[in-house]
Amino acid sequence: MSEKKPIFTPVSEKEVTRAIVAGFAKQFIEYVESDCLIIGGGPSGLMVGRDIALKGVKTLIVERNNYIGGGFWIGGYLMNKVTVREPGQKILEELGIPYEKAVKGLYVADGPHACSKLIAAACDAGVKFANMTIFDDVVLREGNQVCGAVVNWTPVQALPREITCVDPIALESKFVVDSTGHDACVVKKLEERGILKTSGFGAMWVEQSEDLVVEHTGEVHPGLVVTGMAVATTYGLPRMGPTFGGMLLSGRRGAQVILEKIKKK
Amino acid sequence: MNDFIYHIPACIDLYEEGDLRGLNLQNLGRYIAEKTGVPFRNQGNIYKRYSEERLEAVAKELARIKVKDPGKRFALEVPLQAEIDYERRRVRSPGWKVFGILYEGVLYQRIVSDLIFDDEIASDRCSILFTNQLFGTWDRDNRRYHARVSLYGFPSVISVVGLVEAPARPKEFYLRKQMGTPVELLKEEYQGRFLDHGDLRMTEVLKGYAMHALLFHLTGDPFCEDRDCRLFNSHWQEEVLHSQMDGQYEYCPRHEDFLKELKGRSPSSSFSYSTGGVGVGR
Repeated sequence: MSEKKPIFTPVSEKEVTRAIVAGFAKQFIEYVESDCLIIGGGPSGLMVGRDIALKGVKTLIVERNNYIGGGFWIGGYLMNKVTVREPGQKILEELGIPYEKAVKGLYVADGPHACSKLIAAACDAGVKFANMTIFDDVVLREGNQVCGAVVNWTPVQALPREITCVDPIALESKFVVDSTGHDACVVKKLEERGILKTSGFGAMWVEQSEDLVVEHTGEVHPGLVVTGMAVATTYGLPRMGPTFGGMLLSGRRGAQVILEKIKKK
Repeated sequence: MNDFIYHIPACIDLYEEGDLRGLNLQNLGRYIAEKTGVPFRNQGNIYKRYSEERLEAVAKELARIKVKDPGKRFALEVPLQAEIDYERRRVRSPGWKVFGILYEGVLYQRIVSDLIFDDEIASDRCSILFTNQLFGTWDRDNRRYHARVSLYGFPSVISVVGLVEAPARPKEFYLRKQMGTPVELLKEEYQGRFLDHGDLRMTEVLKGYAMHALLFHLTGDPFCEDRDCRLFNSHWQEEVLHSQMDGQYEYCPRHEDFLKELKGRSPSSSFSYSTGGVGVGR
């Protein structure tokens, strides 16, 4: 009787560890300097990343959670259907995300399908990720130009400072994108330094704020582009309801701004 | 008996700002002229006569008067460059569609009044600006800003989108929206019970608001307490639709009589009117 062969090739634990460390280190060393560092891996950040990476821009997305996608997995009231208003469905089509028409001008898609497709599109375009990584501070150069971010492991933030003592590290880039949602972490950091002043988002009482978010998307400070709900916080625009078209289109607008600036440089 | 002297304007100047979403200004102007005997002029886009330099200054002023937190008393702040850029794009584009920013109403009115030439804002002209932007005023009672449909003065400003956003919709609409039902679905379900953007009834409804403005110009009091009269000051969408579309009559007997008297006179003339103790513009 012949001995049954195992399904998987035998590999020792030390080889597994070496593969993880080497793979991570190789990518991390390469991306310590990038063209664009996106803080926040929600829909607008992923969209910026996907669009610029498709044009060959070296892009790293920093995400504080283990999972990428932000709030795009679920819609309102924890229900996993996401809605987009016209013309947001054109981006769904472009990404190959199935959707249905709910009423005139409103489309609905499965959150998990939409989110995973968007993440995959960003990955396919060449975006790299540093997840479980939290934004700590900005790197500033002459004239307060933003040219990078200081980051740390996310779990470090949860521990008392007295027992962690883990210093952060800095990543450099030509552009930083704040796509951290309502928190607008990067913009707030500049505000702490007295470099600019934000307004905080307004009440969710108008249905039209998606247009305003897209219209205000752009460079808020030299080297810093703001997209998605961080735009609402920065400029005091009305808060949005759970429709994601504005996030996707804001991401696209942010990408256009970066590509134009890179072209000029 | 109270007798008042009313001065009739020579003409009513209608201005517009942005995409008025189906409002037919010619139709509205003809209605006022027919009701009052005062001719109207459609002056078009309020920004069209100004140089790039002047519009740049206007953009900076508008960027400073945004109410960012309706729960806090407004304070002037230095705007960010992107906020000025947004306003610049807006005032330079006659059919600008985007809205959603709430402007401080009184300051907004002051900015647009500076855009109306001195001779046009003289006492014998009634100027009305129709805008697709939102403005609000501070309510001292509940200490927060409220979006408004109109602010009467010189000029009077009437917000086409304010007509949709400011008067409250049925209570159950808000409860269900809070529970997460998409607004688009609710709009289908409650169709007809409130005005929506681009609503075909908009021109008809705004005729009543333009009459408010004219009445304010003449008497200082734009409103009527009769909910069947087009001059009723509505707070709910259903009141708006009732007073403007389904009232028992177009104008209450008191205002009907006043308008009849007004129409019999020439523009730029004055007339004395006995208010019978209850008063038009008391």
